[in-house]
Amino acid sequence: MSANAKPYGLLAEFDNTADVLHAAEKVRNAGFRCWDVYMPFPIHGMDKAMGLKNSKVGWFSFVGGVTGYTTGMLMIWWMNAVDYKLMIGGKPMFSPNAAFPPSYELTILFGAFGAILGMLFLNRLPRLNHPLLKHKRFGLASHDKFYVVIETADPKYSETETRKLLEAVGSKRIEMVED
Amino acid sequence: MSQQDDFSNDDPRLPAPLDLSKWRALPGKLIGIGGLITVAGFLYSWKHDGMVNFGFSWLVAFMFFLSLGLGSLFLVMAHHLFDAGWSVATRRLCEHMASLLFPWLAILFIPIALLAPRIYSWMGPALQASPDHALHAKFPLFTTAGFYIVAGACFAVWWLLSSRLKFWSLKQDETGSVECTQKMRFHSYWGIWLFAFTLTFGAIMWMKALQYQWFSTMYGVQYFASSVWLTLATLYVITMLLDRQRVLSDVLHEHQFYFLGTLLFAFTVFYAYVSFSQYFIIWNANMPEETFWYVVREKGTWFYVGLVIIFGHFFMPFLALLRIDVKSNFALMIPIAAWAWLMHFVDMTFNILPAQFKDGFPFEWIWLPLGIMAFMGGLLAQVFIRKFASASPYPKKDPRLVEAMGLYHPVATQISGGELDQADTRHGAPVQPKGGH
Repeated sequence: MSANAKPYGLLAEFDNTADVLHAAEKVRNAGFRCWDVYMPFPIHGMDKAMGLKNSKVGWFSFVGGVTGYTTGMLMIWWMNAVDYKLMIGGKPMFSPNAAFPPSYELTILFGAFGAILGMLFLNRLPRLNHPLLKHKRFGLASHDKFYVVIETADPKYSETETRKLLEAVGSKRIEMVED
Repeated sequence: MSQQDDFSNDDPRLPAPLDLSKWRALPGKLIGIGGLITVAGFLYSWKHDGMVNFGFSWLVAFMFFLSLGLGSLFLVMAHHLFDAGWSVATRRLCEHMASLLFPWLAILFIPIALLAPRIYSWMGPALQASPDHALHAKFPLFTTAGFYIVAGACFAVWWLLSSRLKFWSLKQDETGSVECTQKMRFHSYWGIWLFAFTLTFGAIMWMKALQYQWFSTMYGVQYFASSVWLTLATLYVITMLLDRQRVLSDVLHEHQFYFLGTLLFAFTVFYAYVSFSQYFIIWNANMPEETFWYVVREKGTWFYVGLVIIFGHFFMPFLALLRIDVKSNFALMIPIAAWAWLMHFVDMTFNILPAQFKDGFPFEWIWLPLGIMAFMGGLLAQVFIRKFASASPYPKKDPRLVEAMGLYHPVATQISGGELDQADTRHGAPVQPKGGH
């Protein structure tokens, strides 16, 4: 432990799914915001236990889709009816019906971009390193251990009180992780 | 409790039959009111435009009801060709509707035959005297003789098919002989080929020929798709009504409504696929002699009629019918079926009327096709009810009937091959309501 290391958060280890699920419920009820649970496999009911709401990615996707549709329509209208008019097949310069399929394709493409970029943005990705990865024991999160991590950045965080809470919810091994 | 009691149609758990006595006079009223409007429209049109607008309005109503006859004929033949079991319960209704093709729809075609030289510009004296290239290229089909020969051949085939299929079906009611099933299968086999040709010829000669310069190989398929779509919606409502009245309750299984709803869903998509393909290919091929048909339909209010068809004929029914439980929910299916009637009417006007009203949808004339629709609808409903009353409401000795009822069917017959996997083994299971009661 070097002297100038900043603390990142408290790491509490659990041995089974029931313990970590109940621990998550208690941490949620205590009103923490900057915390997370790590487990080797998805646990049914964890979203609810953690109090997670619907992802906001859908909104990014929606905005992307609307942008894509508008871009497609405007692009085709501008190219065919404004910038480079060509009379083809006796058709009008611009017909929204005919411009629909490409605009629809752009709706899907930009919608997918919105979903991917929105997901990366909301997850603060990409990042090159994470403090938890330095912790030797944390690798067991992909094996047979379950972890609750409460960050020091949380407004409710207090070195002693939070440690007490984690002990009270049944963790037998609580460690400080450094940034 | 005896086995008979389990299938009695007096089960108190089913909703009570509706009192339809008030509706009994409806077809007669429709004939009266519609007939008055038709006569008034005829006289008005005679004075103002030489019966041309009357001819177009009549054509809209005729093509609408022709859809019901042809769609029913298809469902009967498809039933035999697929050796289907479930559709035995509704087949008699389709046989009656198909037999409206002759003589009734043939009689209703007479005004079109008489007014043809006024409705179809290519049959007019000017183009007959000196046909242009677009017309000349379609000889000998697009000649006056060709028009009437095609019409005669179409109705002859439809008469032969619908009457043979109905004859053997009614005969089976008496004899119960397997020979009848084999005969119906034989007629369906040759019939489906000629059905495809005659339906396509009908759609080409009576609708597409309004703008004779145009050509599209999808046109017949599009009319076929929307015809079967309309028929399924109509059949669903009639079957539902007869179930409620305890006429068909004994032979319906829960699945029938789901199957009809699923077919309606399938034809919603099929129609959209065919009409979009036709539009997409023609529009992007950039040939003026083809694109003009759609250019006309983007002018004025026709553009919005096109949007109504895109959203109302496809997107709305598509989204409404997606869920599995909707297909057997009467409270949702009745409005969808009514909507299908409206959309098919809009589709017929979109196909027919721009040839005459190039500036936009003829709102000032809309009373005339609607009045003729009321007249034809009342007349055909009257005939249908009479046909329905004259025979058993379902093919009562069809070998597949027990399968349609969803009952255990232990004996392999000559025609079944003995598939038992579809049968409901709950022998003596309680009678349950079929739809969303």
